[in-house]
Amino acid sequence: MLSPERLSLPGPEYLAQRHVLTYMEDAVSQLLENREDISQYGTARFFTEYFKSVRQGTHILFREFSFVQATPHNRASFLRTFWRCFRTVGKNGDLLTAQEYHCLLQLLCPDFPMELTQKAARIVLMDDAMDCLMSFSDFLFAFQIQFCYSEFLESVAAIYQDLLAGKSPNTVIVPTSSSGQHRQRQPPNDCSPLDGVEASLFYQCLESLCDRSKYSCPPSALVKEMLSSAQRLTFYGFLMALAKHQGINRALGALPDKGDLFLDPAMDQELEKLVAQVSGLSISAPTSSSGDAANLPVRNLPRISSPWKPLHHRRKMDAESEGSNEETDSSEN
Amino acid sequence: MAAYEKRRAAAAPAAGSGLGEPARAGAAARGLGTEAEFLLQAGVTAMVREALLKVLEARPEEPVSFLADYFEKLVLSSPGAGGEAAAEPPGLPQRLARALWYVRLAHHSHRTAFNNNMGMAYECLSASGRRKRPGVDGRLYSELLRRICRPGAAPEDVVAALLQKIQCRDHEAVPFDVFRYGVLTCFVLLEFAAKAGTLYDVLDGGSGPADKRVCQAVLHTLEDALGASDFSVPIRYLEAGSKLGPDCLALAMDRALQERELSVSMSREEFVKKATALFVAKVKPID
Repeated sequence: MLSPERLSLPGPEYLAQRHVLTYMEDAVSQLLENREDISQYGTARFFTEYFKSVRQGTHILFREFSFVQATPHNRASFLRTFWRCFRTVGKNGDLLTAQEYHCLLQLLCPDFPMELTQKAARIVLMDDAMDCLMSFSDFLFAFQIQFCYSEFLESVAAIYQDLLAGKSPNTVIVPTSSSGQHRQRQPPNDCSPLDGVEASLFYQCLESLCDRSKYSCPPSALVKEMLSSAQRLTFYGFLMALAKHQGINRALGALPDKGDLFLDPAMDQELEKLVAQVSGLSISAPTSSSGDAANLPVRNLPRISSPWKPLHHRRKMDAESEGSNEETDSSEN
Repeated sequence: MAAYEKRRAAAAPAAGSGLGEPARAGAAARGLGTEAEFLLQAGVTAMVREALLKVLEARPEEPVSFLADYFEKLVLSSPGAGGEAAAEPPGLPQRLARALWYVRLAHHSHRTAFNNNMGMAYECLSASGRRKRPGVDGRLYSELLRRICRPGAAPEDVVAALLQKIQCRDHEAVPFDVFRYGVLTCFVLLEFAAKAGTLYDVLDGGSGPADKRVCQAVLHTLEDALGASDFSVPIRYLEAGSKLGPDCLALAMDRALQERELSVSMSREEFVKKATALFVAKVKPID
């Protein structure tokens, strides 16, 4: 219940560590924006509503990207909102491109940078065939890693490059500005398994990075466990493993386990009712609606016309999407 | 959509400006004076400062949640919030709730903050506008203590025993130091009970009920340490501490394990009850 170290921190450090000033400053600037309304409701009420919405995680809706990414809590809230709003996409088993996922993200945050979406897509697609289709859950978990650990991954990319080049990774400079993630990550150009780096050496560097970093890092114990099973590994292999690791997902605490991603009895019931109503009316079977569907063979999988699918079907879709890289690769080439 | 575009556009310049440099970006154009002036006049600056001081005092684990509750209380207690009712002094239930909120704001190990809040709570309880003589009477004091202990980890009859010891008579005026002593004791009891619960979790090894002998050995060691009578002498604390040190405790537990009988266990409730009873026995009664 009590973590005593926060009681002994100097005041400003405590405030910074918990991002109190970030929220207080934002609350005041929001208040200034809405000052006409304030005279009606009162300042205290405004602050109450503001901090309640921060507690609930609804405060990031439609806010500018600089604010959405400002604190770990904001990032987790955004991720959660994204999942909640668009999980029907996953439930239907729709596969989307990076560009399409980006459009969904922009519905929640209009200036969301494309670069971040692309980086998440690179994790799913292992930096290959970037216009491929991805399942919702694959994209979501990769996006989580990319978004929550942005700064950490920048440093990891630099360490990886240095190790590949045979340089001592201790010379790596940890990005300290919050704009670190806008920096161009040089994708390792060759990803064949022989060319990775040695896992134990890589882990040592990551461990010291986590010790030094002031940004969110995955728990070292979990990273160690992940890396101990491999001899050598590639950069994207590492990111993929991070994205698929349940323990890391739990440590971040924003999303449920992969198996529970689409469990929502209340919503299922609602949908079932709707479907029952709709199927009462006679509606022509949906044809492939959007124009781009024509040249994407995966889209032409038999689709059930209702927006609802039973669980066992979802499992199947997941299994399919695991192999989606290979499938679409072959169709591309 | 258009309204929200406008909102965003307005957000952009404001986002960068902190408390230090609020006077920027076209505020004058709106004819409302600078932003800093507005904040000062509307009392926002003072309100924010007050809130941050409270956060710093209490150092809550979840500051955002703390601030949400803090401002909510502020709304409820501010004049005008209740319309005409605001002119009347707040009723007894409100005053009790507010006092309870004050005393829970900061952990009691944070002495200065805790004492401050205690003063606020005392003031708030004694401020009833109608009566000429302000003060807290025994009835109000007992009610507050009961409420502090209500949702806690301490067993009910132990709480009752404690309240018996530190209660004042209903019509008696309660001086501040007695008030402070009573409230503090209740909080320490709650924490003690929570700690006893954790101790039991360790003893049962996370699986099933703990062995009765081992529990008794631990309780005896605890009693022995607390039994060292007069705690006004600092050296007694060291003595008690050394009696509860790992070596003493381990010896007692080891001995107990050797002579244990199988399948005799002690329930969690019983353990916590016995442990807290030890604590209550050490509480100095009032008067």
